[in-house]
Amino acid sequence: MTKMASDESKKTPQRGKLTKKDIAQLGIRSLFMQSAMNYERMQAGGWLLATLPALKKVYKDDKDGLSEAMTANLQFINTNNYAAPLLLGLQASLEEHGEKRNTIDSLRIALFGPLAGIGDAITWFTILPIVAGITASFAKEGSFLGPLVFFLVYVAMFFARIPIAQLGYATGTRAISKIRENSAIVSRAASILGCTVIGGLIATYVQITVLTKIHVTAGHSISLQTQFLDRIFPNILPLGYTFFLYWLLKKKNISPVMLILMTFVLAVILSWLGVL
Amino acid sequence: MTVTLMQGILISIFAIIAGIDFWLEGFYIFRPMIVCTVTGIILGDVKMGIIAAGLTELAFAGLTPVGGTQPPNPVMAGIMTVVIAHATGKNPATAIGLALPFSILMQYIILFYYSLFSVFMKKLDAYAEQADTKRFARLALLPTWIVSLTYGVITFLCVYAAQAPMKALVSSMPVWLSHGFEIAGGILPAVGFGLLLKSMLKTEYIPYLLLGFTAACFIKFGNLMPVAVIGIALALIEYTRSKRQRQNEEQIKRLIEENAGGSGDDEDGI
Repeated sequence: MTKMASDESKKTPQRGKLTKKDIAQLGIRSLFMQSAMNYERMQAGGWLLATLPALKKVYKDDKDGLSEAMTANLQFINTNNYAAPLLLGLQASLEEHGEKRNTIDSLRIALFGPLAGIGDAITWFTILPIVAGITASFAKEGSFLGPLVFFLVYVAMFFARIPIAQLGYATGTRAISKIRENSAIVSRAASILGCTVIGGLIATYVQITVLTKIHVTAGHSISLQTQFLDRIFPNILPLGYTFFLYWLLKKKNISPVMLILMTFVLAVILSWLGVL
Repeated sequence: MTVTLMQGILISIFAIIAGIDFWLEGFYIFRPMIVCTVTGIILGDVKMGIIAAGLTELAFAGLTPVGGTQPPNPVMAGIMTVVIAHATGKNPATAIGLALPFSILMQYIILFYYSLFSVFMKKLDAYAEQADTKRFARLALLPTWIVSLTYGVITFLCVYAAQAPMKALVSSMPVWLSHGFEIAGGILPAVGFGLLLKSMLKTEYIPYLLLGFTAACFIKFGNLMPVAVIGIALALIEYTRSKRQRQNEEQIKRLIEENAGGSGDDEDGI
Protein backbone atom coordinates (compact mmCIF):
# COMPACT_ATOMS: atom_id res chain seq x y z
CA MET A 1 0.00 0.00 0.00
CA THR A 2 2.77 2.44 0.90
CA LYS A 3 4.55 1.55 -2.30
CA MET A 4 1.49 2.18 -4.39
CA ALA A 5 0.91 5.56 -2.79
CA SER A 6 4.45 6.63 -3.58
CA ASP A 7 4.06 5.36 -7.16
CA GLU A 8 1.08 7.56 -7.63
CA SER A 9 2.52 10.64 -6.02
CA LYS A 10 5.43 10.19 -8.41
CA LYS A 11 3.08 10.11 -11.36
CA THR A 12 0.61 12.82 -10.41
CA PRO A 13 2.81 15.96 -10.56
CA GLN A 14 3.48 15.36 -14.27
CA ARG A 15 -0.21 15.64 -15.08
CA GLY A 16 -1.47 18.91 -16.55
CA LYS A 17 -4.49 20.68 -15.09
CA LEU A 18 -7.77 21.10 -16.93
CA THR A 19 -9.56 24.44 -16.81
CA LYS A 20 -13.26 25.23 -16.97
CA LYS A 21 -12.71 26.16 -20.60
CA ASP A 22 -11.25 22.73 -21.38
CA ILE A 23 -14.36 21.08 -19.97
CA ALA A 24 -16.63 23.40 -21.98
CA GLN A 25 -14.61 22.42 -25.03
CA LEU A 26 -15.24 18.75 -24.19
CA GLY A 27 -18.97 19.47 -24.29
CA ILE A 28 -18.69 21.08 -27.73
CA ARG A 29 -16.34 18.41 -29.04
CA SER A 30 -18.80 15.69 -28.05
CA LEU A 31 -20.22 16.61 -31.49
CA PHE A 32 -17.45 14.40 -32.92
CA MET A 33 -18.75 11.26 -31.17
CA GLN A 34 -20.02 9.75 -34.42
CA SER A 35 -17.36 11.11 -36.78
CA ALA A 36 -15.87 7.65 -37.38
CA MET A 37 -18.97 5.57 -36.57
CA ASN A 38 -18.64 1.92 -37.59
CA TYR A 39 -20.01 -1.45 -36.59
CA GLU A 40 -16.78 -2.80 -35.14
CA ARG A 41 -16.27 -0.29 -32.36
CA MET A 42 -19.17 2.13 -32.94
CA GLN A 43 -18.22 5.58 -31.59
CA ALA A 44 -14.68 4.70 -30.44
CA GLY A 45 -12.85 6.89 -32.98
CA GLY A 46 -15.15 9.84 -32.36
CA TRP A 47 -14.90 9.46 -28.59
CA LEU A 48 -11.11 9.66 -28.69
CA LEU A 49 -11.27 12.58 -31.14
CA ALA A 50 -13.59 14.43 -28.73
CA THR A 51 -11.36 13.90 -25.71
CA LEU A 52 -8.01 14.27 -27.52
CA PRO A 53 -7.20 17.91 -26.57
CA ALA A 54 -7.97 17.13 -22.93
CA LEU A 55 -5.71 14.06 -23.00
CA LYS A 56 -2.94 16.06 -24.68
CA LYS A 57 -3.18 18.69 -21.97
CA VAL A 58 -3.18 16.13 -19.17
CA TYR A 59 -0.27 14.05 -20.48
CA LYS A 60 1.81 16.93 -21.88
CA ASP A 61 5.25 15.57 -22.84
CA ASP A 62 4.57 12.09 -21.47
CA LYS A 63 4.36 10.37 -24.84
CA ASP A 64 4.11 6.86 -23.39
CA GLY A 65 1.27 7.93 -21.13
CA LEU A 66 -0.55 9.58 -24.03
CA SER A 67 -0.07 6.53 -26.22
CA GLU A 68 -1.47 4.29 -23.50
CA ALA A 69 -4.43 6.60 -22.87
CA MET A 70 -5.21 6.94 -26.59
CA THR A 71 -5.15 3.17 -27.10
CA ALA A 72 -7.40 2.60 -24.08
CA ASN A 73 -9.87 5.25 -25.26
CA LEU A 74 -10.18 3.61 -28.66
CA GLN A 75 -12.21 0.66 -27.37
CA PHE A 76 -15.83 -0.12 -28.16
CA ILE A 77 -18.21 2.58 -27.01
CA ASN A 78 -21.75 3.48 -28.03
CA THR A 79 -23.77 5.92 -26.02
CA ASN A 80 -26.37 8.63 -26.41
CA ASN A 81 -24.96 11.86 -27.82
CA TYR A 82 -26.25 14.01 -24.95
CA ALA A 83 -24.99 11.52 -22.35
CA ALA A 84 -21.55 11.49 -23.99
CA PRO A 85 -20.46 14.88 -22.53
CA LEU A 86 -21.29 13.60 -19.03
CA LEU A 87 -19.01 10.62 -19.54
CA LEU A 88 -16.34 12.76 -21.23
CA GLY A 89 -16.32 15.15 -18.24
CA LEU A 90 -16.21 12.34 -15.70
CA GLN A 91 -13.43 10.57 -17.53
CA ALA A 92 -11.41 13.79 -17.93
CA SER A 93 -11.41 14.33 -14.16
CA LEU A 94 -10.14 10.78 -13.60
CA GLU A 95 -7.41 11.12 -16.25
CA GLU A 96 -6.37 14.47 -14.79
CA HIS A 97 -5.95 13.01 -11.31
CA GLY A 98 -3.99 10.02 -12.58
CA GLU A 99 -6.41 7.29 -11.60
CA LYS A 100 -5.47 3.73 -12.46
CA ARG A 101 -5.97 3.00 -16.17
CA ASN A 102 -8.05 -0.04 -15.27
CA THR A 103 -10.43 1.97 -13.09
CA ILE A 104 -11.00 4.63 -15.76
CA ASP A 105 -11.62 2.11 -18.53
CA SER A 106 -13.90 -0.10 -16.45
CA LEU A 107 -16.04 2.85 -15.36
CA ARG A 108 -16.37 4.09 -18.95
CA ILE A 109 -17.35 0.64 -20.20
CA ALA A 110 -19.80 0.10 -17.35
CA LEU A 111 -21.48 3.48 -17.75
CA PHE A 112 -21.91 4.02 -21.49
CA GLY A 113 -24.65 1.41 -21.92
CA PRO A 114 -26.98 2.49 -19.11
CA LEU A 115 -26.35 6.16 -19.98
CA ALA A 116 -27.29 5.38 -23.58
CA GLY A 117 -30.54 3.85 -22.38
CA ILE A 118 -31.43 6.81 -20.18
CA GLY A 119 -30.27 9.36 -22.77
CA ASP A 120 -32.20 7.74 -25.62
CA ALA A 121 -35.31 7.53 -23.48
CA ILE A 122 -35.10 11.26 -22.73
CA THR A 123 -33.92 12.67 -26.07
CA TRP A 124 -35.38 10.34 -28.72
CA PHE A 125 -38.48 9.00 -27.00
CA THR A 126 -39.55 11.99 -24.90
CA ILE A 127 -38.19 15.30 -26.18
CA LEU A 128 -38.34 14.52 -29.91
CA PRO A 129 -41.97 13.29 -29.98
CA ILE A 130 -43.09 16.29 -27.89
CA VAL A 131 -41.16 18.88 -29.93
CA ALA A 132 -42.00 17.21 -33.25
CA GLY A 133 -45.66 16.83 -32.31
CA ILE A 134 -46.13 20.45 -31.29
CA THR A 135 -44.10 22.03 -34.11
CA ALA A 136 -45.64 19.72 -36.75
CA SER A 137 -49.10 20.93 -35.80
CA PHE A 138 -47.94 24.51 -36.56
CA ALA A 139 -46.18 23.45 -39.75
CA LYS A 140 -49.18 21.55 -41.14
CA GLU A 141 -51.04 24.87 -41.10
CA GLY A 142 -48.18 26.35 -43.12
CA SER A 143 -46.87 28.41 -40.19
CA PHE A 144 -43.15 29.20 -40.17
CA LEU A 145 -43.30 29.00 -36.38
CA GLY A 146 -43.07 25.18 -36.68
CA PRO A 147 -39.58 24.85 -38.17
CA LEU A 148 -38.35 27.93 -36.27
CA VAL A 149 -39.27 26.62 -32.81
CA PHE A 150 -37.92 23.18 -33.75
CA PHE A 151 -34.58 24.69 -34.78
CA LEU A 152 -34.26 26.85 -31.66
CA VAL A 153 -35.04 23.96 -29.30
CA TYR A 154 -32.29 21.82 -30.82
CA VAL A 155 -29.71 24.62 -30.87
CA ALA A 156 -30.40 25.05 -27.15
CA MET A 157 -30.10 21.27 -26.70
CA PHE A 158 -26.72 21.35 -28.38
CA PHE A 159 -25.34 23.99 -26.04
CA ALA A 160 -26.72 22.05 -23.06
CA ARG A 161 -23.82 19.69 -23.75
CA ILE A 162 -21.49 22.19 -22.01
CA PRO A 163 -23.17 22.12 -18.56
CA ILE A 164 -23.64 18.35 -18.96
CA ALA A 165 -19.86 17.97 -19.42
CA GLN A 166 -19.23 20.20 -16.40
CA LEU A 167 -21.62 18.09 -14.34
CA GLY A 168 -19.67 14.96 -15.27
CA TYR A 169 -16.35 16.60 -14.43
CA ALA A 170 -17.60 17.84 -11.03
CA THR A 171 -18.97 14.38 -10.20
CA GLY A 172 -15.64 12.79 -11.07
CA THR A 173 -13.65 15.29 -9.02
CA ARG A 174 -15.84 14.67 -5.97
CA ALA A 175 -15.45 10.89 -6.29
CA ILE A 176 -11.68 10.98 -6.65
CA SER A 177 -10.63 11.22 -3.00
CA LYS A 178 -12.84 8.22 -2.28
CA ILE A 179 -11.29 6.25 -5.13
CA ARG A 180 -7.76 7.31 -4.17
CA GLU A 181 -8.11 5.92 -0.65
CA ASN A 182 -8.56 2.37 -1.90
CA SER A 183 -7.30 2.52 -5.45
CA ALA A 184 -6.36 -1.16 -5.83
CA ILE A 185 -9.67 -2.39 -4.44
CA VAL A 186 -11.67 0.14 -6.47
CA SER A 187 -9.87 -0.94 -9.61
CA ARG A 188 -10.82 -4.57 -8.98
CA ALA A 189 -14.42 -3.70 -8.20
CA ALA A 190 -14.58 -1.54 -11.34
CA SER A 191 -13.28 -4.43 -13.45
CA ILE A 192 -16.01 -6.64 -12.05
CA LEU A 193 -18.63 -4.05 -12.95
CA GLY A 194 -17.08 -3.62 -16.40
CA CYS A 195 -17.02 -7.34 -17.18
CA THR A 196 -20.61 -7.81 -15.97
CA VAL A 197 -21.76 -5.06 -18.32
CA ILE A 198 -19.72 -6.43 -21.25
CA GLY A 199 -21.59 -9.71 -20.78
CA GLY A 200 -24.84 -7.78 -21.07
CA LEU A 201 -23.57 -5.83 -24.09
CA ILE A 202 -22.78 -9.05 -25.94
CA ALA A 203 -26.32 -10.30 -25.33
CA THR A 204 -27.94 -7.07 -26.54
CA TYR A 205 -25.70 -5.82 -29.36
CA VAL A 206 -24.60 -8.93 -31.22
CA GLN A 207 -27.50 -10.32 -33.21
CA ILE A 208 -27.46 -13.66 -34.97
CA THR A 209 -30.76 -15.31 -35.88
CA VAL A 210 -30.80 -18.55 -37.84
CA LEU A 211 -33.66 -18.73 -40.34
CA THR A 212 -33.15 -22.36 -41.37
CA LYS A 213 -36.09 -24.67 -40.81
CA ILE A 214 -35.74 -28.42 -40.88
CA HIS A 215 -38.62 -30.16 -42.62
CA VAL A 216 -39.66 -33.19 -40.68
CA THR A 217 -42.80 -34.19 -42.54
CA ALA A 218 -44.85 -32.41 -45.17
CA GLY A 219 -46.38 -29.34 -43.55
CA HIS A 220 -44.38 -29.70 -40.37
CA SER A 221 -40.96 -28.17 -39.80
CA ILE A 222 -38.71 -27.28 -36.91
CA SER A 223 -37.19 -23.80 -36.70
CA LEU A 224 -33.53 -24.14 -35.81
CA GLN A 225 -33.56 -20.83 -33.93
CA THR A 226 -36.77 -20.76 -31.90
CA GLN A 227 -37.29 -24.47 -31.38
CA PHE A 228 -33.71 -25.57 -30.90
CA LEU A 229 -31.09 -22.89 -30.15
CA ASP A 230 -33.35 -20.64 -28.05
CA ARG A 231 -34.34 -23.64 -25.98
CA ILE A 232 -30.73 -24.42 -25.14
CA PHE A 233 -29.89 -20.82 -24.22
CA PRO A 234 -30.95 -17.50 -25.72
CA ASN A 235 -28.21 -15.58 -27.54
CA ILE A 236 -25.96 -18.61 -27.48
CA LEU A 237 -24.67 -17.87 -30.99
CA PRO A 238 -23.69 -14.23 -30.22
CA LEU A 239 -21.80 -15.39 -27.12
CA GLY A 240 -20.16 -18.26 -28.98
CA TYR A 241 -19.13 -16.09 -31.92
CA THR A 242 -17.77 -13.33 -29.67
CA PHE A 243 -15.62 -15.84 -27.80
CA PHE A 244 -14.51 -17.37 -31.07
CA LEU A 245 -13.30 -13.92 -32.22
CA TYR A 246 -11.72 -13.29 -28.81
CA TRP A 247 -9.83 -16.56 -29.16
CA LEU A 248 -8.67 -15.67 -32.69
CA LEU A 249 -7.50 -12.23 -31.48
CA LYS A 250 -5.78 -13.38 -28.32
CA LYS A 251 -4.38 -16.79 -29.17
CA LYS A 252 -3.99 -16.67 -32.94
CA ASN A 253 -3.06 -12.98 -33.18
CA ILE A 254 -5.32 -12.44 -36.18
CA SER A 255 -5.85 -8.78 -37.02
CA PRO A 256 -9.28 -7.20 -36.42
CA VAL A 257 -9.48 -6.20 -40.10
CA MET A 258 -9.34 -9.87 -41.12
CA LEU A 259 -12.11 -10.64 -38.64
CA ILE A 260 -14.26 -7.81 -40.02
CA LEU A 261 -13.82 -9.03 -43.58
CA MET A 262 -14.47 -12.62 -42.54
CA THR A 263 -17.64 -11.62 -40.69
CA PHE A 264 -18.86 -9.46 -43.56
CA VAL A 265 -18.32 -12.10 -46.24
CA LEU A 266 -19.83 -14.76 -44.00
CA ALA A 267 -22.93 -12.61 -43.40
CA VAL A 268 -23.53 -11.98 -47.11
CA ILE A 269 -22.97 -15.64 -48.07
CA LEU A 270 -25.22 -16.93 -45.30
CA SER A 271 -27.84 -14.36 -46.28
CA TRP A 272 -27.64 -15.59 -49.88
CA LEU A 273 -28.01 -19.18 -48.71
CA GLY A 274 -30.96 -18.14 -46.58
CA VAL A 275 -29.37 -19.41 -43.36
CA LEU A 276 -29.31 -16.01 -41.62
CA MET B 1 -42.52 22.57 -62.26
CA THR B 2 -39.02 21.32 -63.01
CA VAL B 3 -35.99 21.78 -60.79
CA THR B 4 -33.35 24.08 -62.30
CA LEU B 5 -29.62 23.30 -62.29
CA MET B 6 -29.02 26.10 -59.78
CA GLN B 7 -31.71 24.75 -57.48
CA GLY B 8 -30.27 21.25 -57.86
CA ILE B 9 -26.84 22.49 -56.79
CA LEU B 10 -28.22 24.49 -53.85
CA ILE B 11 -30.23 21.51 -52.59
CA SER B 12 -27.14 19.29 -52.92
CA ILE B 13 -25.08 21.75 -50.87
CA PHE B 14 -27.76 21.80 -48.21
CA ALA B 15 -27.85 17.98 -48.32
CA ILE B 16 -24.12 17.93 -47.55
CA ILE B 17 -24.66 20.11 -44.47
CA ALA B 18 -27.74 18.21 -43.29
CA GLY B 19 -25.97 14.93 -44.09
CA ILE B 20 -23.01 15.81 -41.85
CA ASP B 21 -25.49 16.86 -39.18
CA PHE B 22 -27.30 13.50 -39.40
CA TRP B 23 -23.99 11.63 -39.31
CA LEU B 24 -22.96 13.49 -36.14
CA GLU B 25 -26.47 14.09 -34.76
CA GLY B 26 -25.53 17.64 -33.85
CA PHE B 27 -28.16 20.29 -34.46
CA TYR B 28 -31.07 18.20 -35.77
CA ILE B 29 -31.29 20.15 -39.01
CA PHE B 30 -31.36 16.65 -40.55
CA ARG B 31 -34.94 16.15 -39.34
CA PRO B 32 -37.64 16.48 -42.03
CA MET B 33 -38.98 19.53 -40.17
CA ILE B 34 -35.94 21.58 -41.19
CA VAL B 35 -34.98 19.71 -44.39
CA CYS B 36 -38.41 20.13 -46.02
CA THR B 37 -38.61 23.79 -45.03
CA VAL B 38 -35.17 24.64 -46.47
CA THR B 39 -35.81 22.61 -49.65
CA GLY B 40 -39.12 24.47 -50.03
CA ILE B 41 -37.33 27.82 -49.65
CA ILE B 42 -34.75 26.86 -52.32
CA LEU B 43 -37.51 25.78 -54.72
CA GLY B 44 -39.45 28.99 -54.06
CA ASP B 45 -42.36 27.02 -52.65
CA VAL B 46 -42.06 27.93 -48.96
CA LYS B 47 -45.60 27.19 -47.86
CA MET B 48 -45.65 23.73 -49.44
CA GLY B 49 -42.23 23.04 -47.89
CA ILE B 50 -43.48 23.86 -44.40
CA ILE B 51 -46.63 21.77 -44.80
CA ALA B 52 -44.51 18.86 -46.08
CA ALA B 53 -42.22 19.45 -43.07
CA GLY B 54 -45.08 18.89 -40.64
CA LEU B 55 -46.33 15.78 -42.42
CA THR B 56 -42.93 14.16 -43.01
CA GLU B 57 -41.72 14.93 -39.48
CA LEU B 58 -44.69 13.09 -38.03
CA ALA B 59 -44.23 10.20 -40.47
CA PHE B 60 -40.60 9.88 -39.35
CA ALA B 61 -41.18 10.50 -35.62
CA GLY B 62 -40.91 6.82 -34.78
CA LEU B 63 -37.90 6.17 -36.99
CA THR B 64 -34.93 7.00 -34.83
CA PRO B 65 -31.28 5.96 -35.05
CA VAL B 66 -31.16 4.47 -31.55
CA GLY B 67 -28.49 1.98 -30.52
CA GLY B 68 -26.59 2.03 -33.80
CA THR B 69 -29.57 1.12 -35.98
CA GLN B 70 -30.15 3.08 -39.15
CA PRO B 71 -33.72 4.11 -40.12
CA PRO B 72 -34.76 5.15 -43.64
CA ASN B 73 -32.80 8.31 -44.23
CA PRO B 74 -34.66 11.43 -43.00
CA VAL B 75 -32.53 13.85 -45.09
CA MET B 76 -33.34 12.14 -48.39
CA ALA B 77 -36.96 11.62 -47.33
CA GLY B 78 -37.37 15.32 -46.60
CA ILE B 79 -35.65 16.55 -49.76
CA MET B 80 -37.36 14.13 -52.13
CA THR B 81 -40.82 14.63 -50.62
CA VAL B 82 -40.66 18.35 -51.40
CA VAL B 83 -38.91 17.89 -54.77
CA ILE B 84 -41.47 15.32 -55.94
CA ALA B 85 -44.41 17.41 -54.70
CA HIS B 86 -42.92 20.46 -56.42
CA ALA B 87 -42.13 18.67 -59.69
CA THR B 88 -45.30 16.61 -60.08
CA GLY B 89 -47.84 18.83 -58.35
CA LYS B 90 -48.89 15.91 -56.15
CA ASN B 91 -49.81 16.78 -52.58
CA PRO B 92 -47.05 16.34 -49.96
CA ALA B 93 -48.78 13.42 -48.22
CA THR B 94 -48.59 11.34 -51.43
CA ALA B 95 -45.05 12.54 -52.11
CA ILE B 96 -43.84 11.07 -48.80
CA GLY B 97 -44.53 7.58 -50.11
CA LEU B 98 -42.92 8.30 -53.48
CA ALA B 99 -39.82 9.64 -51.71
CA LEU B 100 -39.33 6.44 -49.71
CA PRO B 101 -37.15 4.56 -52.29
CA PHE B 102 -34.61 7.43 -52.23
CA SER B 103 -34.65 7.44 -48.46
CA ILE B 104 -34.01 3.69 -48.43
CA LEU B 105 -31.19 4.05 -50.97
CA MET B 106 -29.34 6.42 -48.63
CA GLN B 107 -30.11 4.17 -45.65
CA TYR B 108 -28.40 1.25 -47.41
CA ILE B 109 -25.41 3.36 -48.36
CA ILE B 110 -24.92 4.38 -44.73
CA LEU B 111 -25.41 0.81 -43.51
CA PHE B 112 -22.72 -0.23 -45.95
CA TYR B 113 -20.45 2.57 -44.69
CA TYR B 114 -20.92 1.45 -41.08
CA SER B 115 -19.40 -1.89 -42.06
CA LEU B 116 -16.81 -0.41 -44.41
CA PHE B 117 -15.49 2.17 -41.93
CA SER B 118 -14.60 -0.64 -39.51
CA VAL B 119 -11.54 -1.07 -41.71
CA PHE B 120 -10.18 2.34 -40.60
CA MET B 121 -9.87 1.13 -37.00
CA LYS B 122 -6.58 -0.66 -37.66
CA LYS B 123 -4.87 2.52 -38.80
CA LEU B 124 -6.50 4.50 -35.96
CA ASP B 125 -5.11 1.93 -33.51
CA ALA B 126 -1.64 2.43 -34.98
CA TYR B 127 -1.84 6.24 -34.67
CA ALA B 128 -3.11 5.93 -31.10
CA GLU B 129 -0.20 3.71 -30.20
CA GLN B 130 2.28 6.17 -31.73
CA ALA B 131 0.43 9.00 -29.91
CA ASP B 132 0.24 10.70 -33.31
CA THR B 133 -2.62 13.05 -32.50
CA LYS B 134 -2.54 14.97 -35.80
CA ARG B 135 -2.82 11.95 -38.06
CA PHE B 136 -5.37 10.40 -35.75
CA ALA B 137 -7.62 13.47 -35.88
CA ARG B 138 -7.39 13.60 -39.66
CA LEU B 139 -8.30 9.94 -40.12
CA ALA B 140 -11.05 10.01 -37.49
CA LEU B 141 -12.74 12.77 -39.49
CA LEU B 142 -12.27 11.12 -42.88
CA PRO B 143 -15.48 9.02 -42.64
CA THR B 144 -17.44 12.24 -42.06
CA TRP B 145 -16.02 13.77 -45.25
CA ILE B 146 -16.75 10.62 -47.24
CA VAL B 147 -20.34 10.64 -46.00
CA SER B 148 -20.80 14.34 -46.79
CA LEU B 149 -19.49 13.88 -50.33
CA THR B 150 -21.83 10.93 -50.82
CA TYR B 151 -24.81 13.05 -49.77
CA GLY B 152 -23.83 15.74 -52.27
CA VAL B 153 -23.47 13.31 -55.19
CA ILE B 154 -26.53 11.17 -54.45
CA THR B 155 -28.74 14.19 -53.83
CA PHE B 156 -27.67 15.85 -57.06
CA LEU B 157 -28.37 12.64 -58.98
CA CYS B 158 -31.76 12.14 -57.34
CA VAL B 159 -32.90 15.75 -57.49
CA TYR B 160 -31.60 16.89 -60.85
CA ALA B 161 -29.70 14.47 -63.05
CA ALA B 162 -31.07 10.96 -62.82
CA GLN B 163 -34.20 10.54 -60.79
CA ALA B 164 -35.62 7.53 -62.68
CA PRO B 165 -32.39 5.48 -62.81
CA MET B 166 -31.79 6.04 -59.06
CA LYS B 167 -35.26 4.73 -58.31
CA ALA B 168 -34.64 1.72 -60.54
CA LEU B 169 -31.39 1.06 -58.68
CA VAL B 170 -33.23 0.70 -55.38
CA SER B 171 -35.81 -1.71 -56.77
CA SER B 172 -33.19 -3.80 -58.58
CA MET B 173 -31.03 -4.38 -55.49
CA PRO B 174 -31.34 -8.07 -54.58
CA VAL B 175 -32.86 -8.73 -51.20
CA TRP B 176 -30.14 -11.14 -50.11
CA LEU B 177 -27.50 -8.41 -50.56
CA SER B 178 -29.29 -5.74 -48.55
CA HIS B 179 -30.28 -8.35 -45.97
CA GLY B 180 -26.62 -9.44 -45.87
CA PHE B 181 -25.57 -5.86 -45.00
CA GLU B 182 -28.08 -5.80 -42.18
CA ILE B 183 -26.87 -9.14 -40.83
CA ALA B 184 -23.24 -8.04 -40.99
CA GLY B 185 -24.22 -4.95 -39.01
CA GLY B 186 -25.73 -7.14 -36.33
CA ILE B 187 -22.69 -9.38 -36.01
CA LEU B 188 -19.78 -6.93 -36.40
CA PRO B 189 -19.97 -5.55 -32.82
CA ALA B 190 -18.68 -9.00 -31.82
CA VAL B 191 -15.28 -7.93 -33.20
CA GLY B 192 -15.35 -4.84 -30.96
CA PHE B 193 -16.28 -6.92 -27.93
CA GLY B 194 -13.58 -9.46 -28.80
CA LEU B 195 -11.03 -6.63 -28.67
CA LEU B 196 -12.52 -5.31 -25.45
CA LEU B 197 -12.27 -8.75 -23.84
CA LYS B 198 -8.69 -9.08 -25.05
CA SER B 199 -7.71 -6.06 -22.96
CA MET B 200 -10.10 -6.46 -20.00
CA LEU B 201 -10.84 -10.12 -19.39
CA LYS B 202 -8.87 -12.04 -16.80
CA THR B 203 -9.85 -15.59 -15.92
CA GLU B 204 -11.09 -14.47 -12.50
CA TYR B 205 -13.61 -12.12 -14.17
CA ILE B 206 -15.24 -14.73 -16.44
CA PRO B 207 -17.98 -15.54 -13.87
CA TYR B 208 -19.04 -11.87 -13.88
CA LEU B 209 -19.15 -11.81 -17.68
CA LEU B 210 -21.41 -14.87 -17.64
CA LEU B 211 -23.64 -13.34 -14.97
CA GLY B 212 -24.04 -10.14 -16.97
CA PHE B 213 -24.75 -12.10 -20.14
CA THR B 214 -27.36 -14.28 -18.48
CA ALA B 215 -29.03 -11.32 -16.79
CA ALA B 216 -29.31 -9.45 -20.11
CA CYS B 217 -30.74 -12.56 -21.79
CA PHE B 218 -33.56 -13.04 -19.34
CA ILE B 219 -34.38 -9.55 -18.09
CA LYS B 220 -36.46 -7.98 -20.83
CA PHE B 221 -35.96 -4.25 -20.44
CA GLY B 222 -35.27 -1.38 -22.81
CA ASN B 223 -31.72 -0.74 -21.68
CA LEU B 224 -28.81 -2.24 -19.77
CA MET B 225 -29.73 -0.61 -16.45
CA PRO B 226 -30.64 -3.88 -14.67
CA VAL B 227 -27.35 -5.45 -15.75
CA ALA B 228 -25.45 -2.38 -14.56
CA VAL B 229 -27.22 -2.53 -11.19
CA ILE B 230 -26.32 -6.21 -10.84
CA GLY B 231 -22.75 -5.27 -11.79
CA ILE B 232 -22.69 -2.53 -9.15
CA ALA B 233 -24.00 -4.98 -6.53
CA LEU B 234 -21.31 -7.51 -7.40
CA ALA B 235 -18.65 -4.80 -7.38
CA LEU B 236 -19.80 -3.56 -3.95
CA ILE B 237 -19.74 -7.08 -2.53
CA GLU B 238 -16.19 -7.51 -3.77
CA TYR B 239 -15.24 -4.03 -2.55
CA THR B 240 -16.47 -4.66 0.99
CA ARG B 241 -14.90 -8.11 1.08
CA SER B 242 -11.49 -6.87 -0.11
CA LYS B 243 -11.55 -3.98 2.31
CA ARG B 244 -12.31 -6.25 5.25
CA GLN B 245 -9.62 -8.63 4.11
CA ARG B 246 -7.10 -5.80 3.98
CA GLN B 247 -8.05 -4.66 7.48
CA ASN B 248 -7.60 -8.21 8.73
CA GLU B 249 -4.23 -8.50 7.08
CA GLU B 250 -3.09 -5.23 8.60
CA GLN B 251 -4.31 -6.32 12.00
CA ILE B 252 -2.44 -9.61 11.74
CA LYS B 253 0.68 -7.79 10.63
CA ARG B 254 0.41 -5.42 13.59
CA LEU B 255 -0.05 -8.29 16.01
CA ILE B 256 2.98 -10.09 14.62
CA GLU B 257 5.05 -6.94 14.93
CA GLU B 258 3.92 -6.33 18.48
CA ASN B 259 4.84 -9.89 19.39
CA ALA B 260 8.21 -9.48 17.73
CA GLY B 261 9.09 -6.78 20.26
CA GLY B 262 7.26 -3.66 19.14
CA SER B 263 10.22 -2.14 17.32
CA GLY B 264 8.29 -1.66 14.07
CA ASP B 265 8.78 1.54 12.11
CA ASP B 266 6.09 4.17 12.00
CA GLU B 267 5.78 4.14 8.24
CA ASP B 268 4.24 0.67 8.21
CA GLY B 269 1.38 1.62 10.46
CA ILE B 270 -1.12 3.16 8.09
